[in-house]
This record gives sequence, structure tokens and C-alpha cells, in this order.
Amino acid sequence: MPPRIRSSKFASLPRPTPSQSSSARPQSITQNTQPSRQFSQTSCQQATLRRRKFYEWLNGPGKQLKEPLPDSTNYLGAYDRYGNLVRAGPGYQRGAAKPQAEGESKLTETTNKAAAPTEEAKTPEGQESLDELESAARKEEVEKKDAEQDDSKLPPETAEDLRPFPLNQYFRSQSVLSEDLREAIYQRVKRDGATVSLASVEFGVSNERVGAVVRLKQMEKEWIAQGKTLAVPYSKAVLNMLPTTPHIDTTDPKNKGKRPIVHEPINDLIVHPATRQQLWVPVAESRHFTREDAGKAFDNSLLPADERIPHPELVKAERELASGLSFEERRKLAEERFAVETAQKKREEEAREAEIRAQKVVPQRRWDFVFKDISVESAGRNGRDVRGVGWRYGLPHQDRKKGQVKIPTKVEA
Amino acid sequence: MRKKPRFHSLKKLKVRQDMSRWTLYSLSQLKQPNVSTRTFFQQKWTAKADTRAYHGEQIREKKWARLFKRSIPAVVPMDHKYLARHDGSEQAAGRGAGADSQDKQRTPPMTPYMQMAYYPIERRLDTAIFRALFASSVRQARQFCVHGLVTVNGKKMPYPGYMLNPGDMFQVEPSSVMFATGAQKERSSTARRVAKEKAAARAEAREAAGGQTPRQPKPRSAVPSAGEEPTPAELRKHLQAMMDDVNGVLAEDVGAKDKQKFRAFRQTVKRAISLWRNASPESISTLDTQFDFLKTQLAGRAAPSTPATAPDAIQEPLFSEEDQAKLRQAFEKLRLETEHTSAWNSRNAAAPYATPWRPRAYMSAFAFIPRYLEVNQNICAAVYLRHPVARPGLAEVPTPFHIETGQLAFNWYLRRR
Repeated sequence: MPPRIRSSKFASLPRPTPSQSSSARPQSITQNTQPSRQFSQTSCQQATLRRRKFYEWLNGPGKQLKEPLPDSTNYLGAYDRYGNLVRAGPGYQRGAAKPQAEGESKLTETTNKAAAPTEEAKTPEGQESLDELESAARKEEVEKKDAEQDDSKLPPETAEDLRPFPLNQYFRSQSVLSEDLREAIYQRVKRDGATVSLASVEFGVSNERVGAVVRLKQMEKEWIAQGKTLAVPYSKAVLNMLPTTPHIDTTDPKNKGKRPIVHEPINDLIVHPATRQQLWVPVAESRHFTREDAGKAFDNSLLPADERIPHPELVKAERELASGLSFEERRKLAEERFAVETAQKKREEEAREAEIRAQKVVPQRRWDFVFKDISVESAGRNGRDVRGVGWRYGLPHQDRKKGQVKIPTKVEA
Repeated sequence: MRKKPRFHSLKKLKVRQDMSRWTLYSLSQLKQPNVSTRTFFQQKWTAKADTRAYHGEQIREKKWARLFKRSIPAVVPMDHKYLARHDGSEQAAGRGAGADSQDKQRTPPMTPYMQMAYYPIERRLDTAIFRALFASSVRQARQFCVHGLVTVNGKKMPYPGYMLNPGDMFQVEPSSVMFATGAQKERSSTARRVAKEKAAARAEAREAAGGQTPRQPKPRSAVPSAGEEPTPAELRKHLQAMMDDVNGVLAEDVGAKDKQKFRAFRQTVKRAISLWRNASPESISTLDTQFDFLKTQLAGRAAPSTPATAPDAIQEPLFSEEDQAKLRQAFEKLRLETEHTSAWNSRNAAAPYATPWRPRAYMSAFAFIPRYLEVNQNICAAVYLRHPVARPGLAEVPTPFHIETGQLAFNWYLRRR
């Protein structure tokens, strides 16, 4: 573990307080007097040295990590090598701060504004800075902190404090959605009927995550309807140990003028394998060489970034705004786009339905027999095409061969 | 035969995928690789050995070598405002014409591709269960799979090596999760007595059944399948039964010890809903939808009231206002009751973990959930959203090693060494 430098503001170090360990297991090693050889009286030095060091570390610097910090994360990266919490103020005493009431926010949460990216200088690459997004949630806490001037409470975590693996600078514990935010997303999609992409933009949560949250929340509500036992104690404990993104209810008059906190970047562009190589394309200086042309240079079918990101409609809306269209016109255009999209979705749905209807189903006691139209020709010329159906003469099965995996590759939802 | 080396050895410190104090100690003792006095091969070998002790040590080396991919997925976060304002030609504007003498442009942070060398392992079901904090180690997660405690998309998945696809939902038995992540139970006289009593009862039951395990009574399916639309007389009967149950539930305290009244109410609600043939259980699975469904169906029945088939049908609406309010209250109470029983964390000698439940020691140091998973802790279910990706300044595969170790390990698995 690389030593972390303590800032000079601490006069006295917060000493690790002995917490009431409820475990009955003795954490200190008893003197091991087992001889190393049967005929020797010397005790085994090597093993005991290592074990002594292990227990020394566990009872010294490692002691802080045994129990979770109330209302905060508690990672190895937050401590220096002597087991002192680096971000703690001089007056901080572990276990002194009372666990806050339920309504109050956790340390990593903020109830303040300035969460959404404001008019900052854009990076020339057109990328969002992940660090800024993540620190936005924690930044406001600092201001609140200064106003309170309370030494006994912990300041919010820095990026370094969120490292469970101190040696790996490129990994940190990222925040998860809080319970309120999950509920809000579920209500927005299920009750208000918002589309997934709309909810994604509103809450600053990626498309897939919105879908997953709705699916999981639906299941949770089904469990409640069935009267199944939920793992609530586990859930509470785990969410207290993790950094969470709070929900800011913008309809609440208390939160007037605030914007919801962005949980994660929603417009992630996947790095296309064709763009992994370097290209030298000589281009005339007079030519207007755009992103589209650059994409074509890499691969003929490669679309520009504006269309490959998950929310291309945001780019279109922004362009319309820049072109000076009035609000009414923009709304009309957006509605048109939405109508086209829904029509497309409806057509796909109908096609799927028609396909299912075309099948002949004979219900049986346990299984239903489904008859589909198939073609012998689909087996292909060598008879090994994947679309081929049934066993064909002269073609042995491959499934007993070495290296053929029997584990299913997918499970239908 | 050579003795099998210890899993957690103090002689050779290895970081393992679990939440133990041994792992925590090894984490604290980890150092950067020694690159000055060793040959390249030696460096790569050590890096491979160290990282493989953490990533998928339960997988054979040959199997992992086949899984390894040299192309690593990555994303770049884009800003839609920038994309709308510029078409990309501004990056080339003025090159060579003297217009490119602005102040130095900010370089984006490095994308740590090679910290992602083990990303295919994160796709495995056992690893994903561990990452979602449903098990205290990968080996335990593997055991959960093998013991049939894990479902993927609602179907039992006994293979720990199942490769999750984006969008797969996996779920672990909540009691097992509480056992895995809870503090260990201490042996106590009560626990021993309870176990003895249980064993005695089992033995007695076996004796009574003549050496056979007693058959569990089959749950009676309480779904009387009626026609398309229930007759008004039927409806009234059901409504009366439901209202009786409502009164019973409202009289009951939420945390009541005997929950029979709640259970009975749940049953009548189910039965009332099953009267309508077209109502599929999927569409009315939550309490809110059940309530809305009943309200609309029962209230809507009275107004048109089908004069042709039943001229003597009741003309007053089936649901009065106060009845509706009462029903709403009863539903609310049902929800509260479920949540209360779930949250109630009492002493329970039969539970395999220390009660009242608390997280196990040293869990907080290992508690993180990577972004490629979306977890709902209440039902112990998670969705594998996408494959882990590298992004500028961040690799999503949780690995405890220094970037140089990661690079060396990645280079080991590129075939030319």
C-alpha cells in the first residue's frame, strides 16, 4: 500500500478507538511455544513472526476496517499506513457522531443544487469529464460543511478515499442509485408512462440501467404483493456502506431551482474496432472534412458519433435550438420524431405477433408442441448451416467432441 | 504427494476474491512490481501468477487462456451539446496555415486498457454474484450456483461458468445472501438445543411415516375458473367475503404475531381477481394494480349491469365510497405488513447467521458494486447491464493490482512471449 500523506491541518491524530467487538474470536495471538523440531527446544521463529505481524496489523491499522463507518464508505484507500482516517478533522472521533435520522442525507449524498453540468468550458474533444460528474455530488457537501463548522463530522470522500484497492489508481467505488431514486425512476416510467430514453435523460441514468431498475422494482413489488420476505436488513446495511446518488425531487417546492444529480454519463460512444488503428488520410486543405468523412475513412459503414451515441435525439434537439427555431416549431418536430419512432416500434411488435400467430401450437399436459414452417434448403450446401433442422444422414453430431461446451449460452427472459 | 498449498498463506501473500481478513492484509501489503532487477520474463511470470490468484483462480489455466481476448471494449463519453455545435471540421481547421497556435489543449486521461485483461471472467455467473455482494467469496458464489440457489431470468442455473449476456437478471436466495454476508453465528446452547429438537422431530416423523420422509401437503390451487364474466350473484358473494376479510385486516395490528388474517385477505383478493378470465396475473401482479383493477371492475360492473342476462341484478354500485376507502386502507396495511416482517430483524435461533443480522466483519472494506451491474438488494437480484468497459481514466474491472502488473499480465497472455 503506498503511504498516503496526511494533510498538515491535523494537530492531534484521531486515535483508533477500541470498538466493542462482538465476536468472541480472540484477535491477538497467544504465544506459540511449539518447537520447530521434535528434538529441538527452539520454537519455530519464522511462522510466528509472520503471524505476529499479521495480527499486529489487524489489531492496529486494520482495526478500523472491521466494522463499517456509520453513514460513510470505509475503504482501505481512505486510511494511511498507521490506520488514521486521512480525511477526518482533528476533532473527529470514531463512533462519536450519532447515526443521523432517516430523513437526513448521507455523507455522500447532497441535497443541494449545481449537480447538473452548468456552463463550464467544454473540452475540445467533446467529452464529458467523468471526474467532474462524480465529484459534483460530493462537492456541495463541502460547502455545507463549511457552513456548519462541525469538526466531529466527517467531510465527504475524495476520489482517493473511494479506492478499495489503493494500488490501483484506475479503479474506484462508484456510486449506486439510492432507494428513492429507484422508486422515482420506476414511478416515472410505469405511472407517468415516460419512455426509457426520456427517463434516462431526466435522471441522468443510462438507458439500460433505467430498464433494469424498472424490471427489478417491478419484481420487488410483486414480492410485496405475494407477501414474500424481503432482505431489508441486508439492503439497508449494504446501501449504507456504498456511495449512493441521492434523488432530488424537482417537483418538491423545497428543491426549487435545483437540478437532478447526474448519476453517470448517458452518451457513451463505444469505441468501434475499426477505429482502433491509426490512419493517414491525405485530405486537401480546402476540403470540409467532417466527422462523417472521418468515419467513412475508417470503415464504409461506420456512422458518425452523432448517430451512434445512445441519445441521438439530444443532438438533434440541440441543433434545432441553435438554428433559432421557436419553441412551438421545435415541439412539433420532436413530436413528429416521436410519432415516427412509435410507429416503427408498433410495426415491429405487430410483425412479432404475426409470427407467433402463424405458428401452430398443440397444448399438451406439460409441454406445448409448436409447429413452424421450415425449409430443407436452409441446411445449406454442406449441410452444416446453423439454420438447418433435424439430423442429416452422414453428418455426425459434434456434441461429444472435446471442447464442445454444454453450458447454455443464453436464457430467454 | 506434494502438499496442497494453503489458500490463504502468510508465507506467500496472495490477494483472493473474498472478504476475509487475510485478503485485507494481503491488500495492504501489496507492492508495485519490481521492474529494475528482473528479466522481462520473470516480471511477466510473477504478474501472471499474482493476478491469476485473484482473477478466476477456480478456473483452470487452459480454460482461461481460451477465454482471453486481446481486444478490450472501451467507451468514450460524448457531450451532445458539443456534437450539435461542431461537425468535426473544426479539429482540422487552420492546420498548416498558422491558425493552430492556441494554448495547449487539455489531454484526456489515459484509458487503462490493460487493467481490463481479465474482463471475460467478470462475465461469469459466479464472479458476477460476488461482485453484486451476494456472496462473500467467488468460491461461495460458485457453491450457491451448484446448490441450485441461483436463477438466471427466473430459471435455475446450476452452472457457475454460465456467461451472462447483457440484460440477464440473476437472483440468489435471500436467506443464503444473508447467510453469506452476515456475521457468523456463535455456537450457543440454544442453537444446539434447537438443532437437537429439530432432529428429534424429523426422526419421529420418519418413524411415523414408516421409514419414509413425510409427504408435504400439496397447496390447493384456489382459482375457480369461471366464464368470461362472473354473474352478479357470484360477485356479491365474493365481495361480501372480501369485505369480511377487510374488516379483519383493519382490526389487526401490522406487526401481529399471527398473520392468518393478512394471508386470508391476500387469498380473497387473488380469488376475486381470478373471477375475470381476461385478467392475467402478469398484468396485475403488484398491489397498486390489483387495487385499481378491483376498483374499476367492481365499480364498472354496476353501471351497465347487463340487463339482458340478469334483470334482477343489483342496481346500486357494488362499491360504496367508504368501502373503497376501507379497501384502500387494507391494501396499504398489507404492504406495511410485508415490509414490517421483512425489516423486523429479531433474534432467531434457527437462522444460519448471527441474529439480529449485521454485516460480517471487514465487509465494508470490500463493499463496492461496479457500474456494469444494477442491483436490487431487497430481492437479492441484479441485472448484468453490459460488459465492463474501459473509459478515460477508469477501468471497470475491479482489480487490486498496480497498472504495471496489469500490463505485464496482459502481455503474458498475448501469445508471443
